[in-house]
Amino acid sequence: MPPLDEGTPLFVQIAEQLADDIVDGVLAEGARAPSANELAAFYRINPATAAKGINVLVDEAVLEKRRGIGMFVASGAREQLRAGRRKRFAEQYLDPMLAEAKRLGIDTDTLVSLIRGSGWHNGGDTP
Amino acid sequence: MKTLVNVARYHLVDRLSYWALPWGILAFSFLINLAISGLLPSPQGDYTGGLFTIYAYLIVCGALSMTRSLPFGLMLGVSRRGYYLGTALLIMMLGVVWGLGLTVLQAAERATGGWGVGLHFFRVPWIMDGPWYVTWLTSFVLLVLFFWYGMWYGLVYRRWNVAGLIAFAAAQVLVVLAVVVAVSMTGNWPAVGHFFTTLTALALTGVLAAVAVALGLGGLTTIRRVTI
Amino acid sequence: MTPVISATALGRRYRDQVALNDVSLAIQPGTVTGLLGRNGAGKTTLMRIVTGLEFPTSGAIRVFGEAPAENESVLRRMVFVREDQAYPDLRVTHVIRVASWFYPNWNGDLARQLLADFDLPLGRRIRKLSRGMRSAVGIVIGLAARAELTLFDEPYAGLDAVARQLFYDRLLADFAEHPRTVVLSTHLIDEVADLLEHVVMLDRGRVVLDAPADDVRGTAMTVSGPATAVEEFVAGRPVWRRQRLGARAAVTVAGPLDLTEQARARALHLRLEPLSLQQLLVHAAGSPADEKVSA
Repeated sequence: MPPLDEGTPLFVQIAEQLADDIVDGVLAEGARAPSANELAAFYRINPATAAKGINVLVDEAVLEKRRGIGMFVASGAREQLRAGRRKRFAEQYLDPMLAEAKRLGIDTDTLVSLIRGSGWHNGGDTP
Repeated sequence: MKTLVNVARYHLVDRLSYWALPWGILAFSFLINLAISGLLPSPQGDYTGGLFTIYAYLIVCGALSMTRSLPFGLMLGVSRRGYYLGTALLIMMLGVVWGLGLTVLQAAERATGGWGVGLHFFRVPWIMDGPWYVTWLTSFVLLVLFFWYGMWYGLVYRRWNVAGLIAFAAAQVLVVLAVVVAVSMTGNWPAVGHFFTTLTALALTGVLAAVAVALGLGGLTTIRRVTI
Repeated sequence: MTPVISATALGRRYRDQVALNDVSLAIQPGTVTGLLGRNGAGKTTLMRIVTGLEFPTSGAIRVFGEAPAENESVLRRMVFVREDQAYPDLRVTHVIRVASWFYPNWNGDLARQLLADFDLPLGRRIRKLSRGMRSAVGIVIGLAARAELTLFDEPYAGLDAVARQLFYDRLLADFAEHPRTVVLSTHLIDEVADLLEHVVMLDRGRVVLDAPADDVRGTAMTVSGPATAVEEFVAGRPVWRRQRLGARAAVTVAGPLDLTEQARARALHLRLEPLSLQQLLVHAAGSPADEKVSA
């Protein structure tokens, strides 16, 4: 998830927040996503902006529109989002970490033992 | 049309200015005159200009309708023309009703012999002393005339402030002066005198009505470029 | 889509000054547009011309496709809440009642709700109200009218921050339920930035910015960090402002920065901070009259 202070448009941030909720399982597949009006009221933003954010996810087939009822999380959305984020993981998180490690003179072995020591379990669900 | 009626209703919400005060002032003036007549009776009966107080009040009321009440009126999505016509229409409706009231009071005054003290308050000699329908019409025209005159003053003030008011009044004086000079120079005073002595109350009412219309049109052209 | 408001080379000149100069813009239906600018920029003049209270000295103005001045079919569809609205000597409840007669979409329940929300004393004469309360009355009328075109010209004089937030919340909520075109003129830009879909900025009577709000975000960035790294990063970009303190620098450059550039900045340990809408205005107002901020 890109940091919020880099001037990303509001609607992108809305889309990202919804995607976060889906990835975290807070918003389950098949569940109804908040409407544009609900998002607008919650974040205190213009409904059109919220609608734009929703549409980003509709275009990615993460959300689907059921006419007359609302927006729902598509089946397979969670895995789809996670796969997309895994691709960006290296560029967004790994590269900066490695650059910082290099800057501080932390070698690969130390880095690996740091990771092991943090209690993170390889490939498991979030702790 | 609905807009015009709504403008009229808007003014009427101010019960003080349009219900209480007109009649209150009239009653006050009447009672003062009645008291004086009662205390100091004169044999031929008292003729007072007391009725004039109501006309003076209408000038003020008309002016205020175009100064104090105008900004909110225009906020309501009414055009200047619509606001003006709605207000003008209001006083016409009120003029009919109030005129009738004055006519009734005039008849009562005649029937009681001047309220028992010979007071001629509602019976203005010659112009409002005749048949009830003429009185009603004349009252109506006078009420409307003074109110529309006040409206014009209010608008002149809005557009050109105090300087404008002075110029407006001065212009009227000049017009009258010009007429007087013209009549004198053409030696037409006898003709003017003849005209007025042969004039009936009804005809004079007609002249007043024409003056009222002229004043109304004057105000209408002035409101066109008023900004609030 | 036919614009709700369409200005073409609009100008308004007074004897000693020019209030509007060659203003052309189009406001689309169903949007919330922020009309921004310093005091005296021409925002109020523009809104007065749109609502037929003022007459342009040059150019053309069309609202709902027609000239608005003295045009009741157009005027009826608008409501204009002004900062300095003058009211007659009536009680609050009367003022509200009168307003309800004139607006075709008026909603009495909403009006009642808002009157309660703003804690307005119904029986008091409007002239006896504080400035803030009078502003609140204007806001109640502006919202309850549900006019197709709703214009607010700095309607919050005297309202504290809590009341202002209440206004924004109610505006947003009712706008979502009953879409309409809203034009909101303000100099408290950051308070309303998230409500806006479109932004028009005036400076000295001219349009200096006219863009979707989303495009304006990221129009300029302040890059701060070690001076050499900063200068290396901003090389070749138009610089708006430069600040140095010892070995650190903060340079404001025209954006936007794409993801690669953002990543590069992070790699160089540079901090990126987008200019807020308010800061963009300050910059835009400071530039020469005929320089446009490109979005």
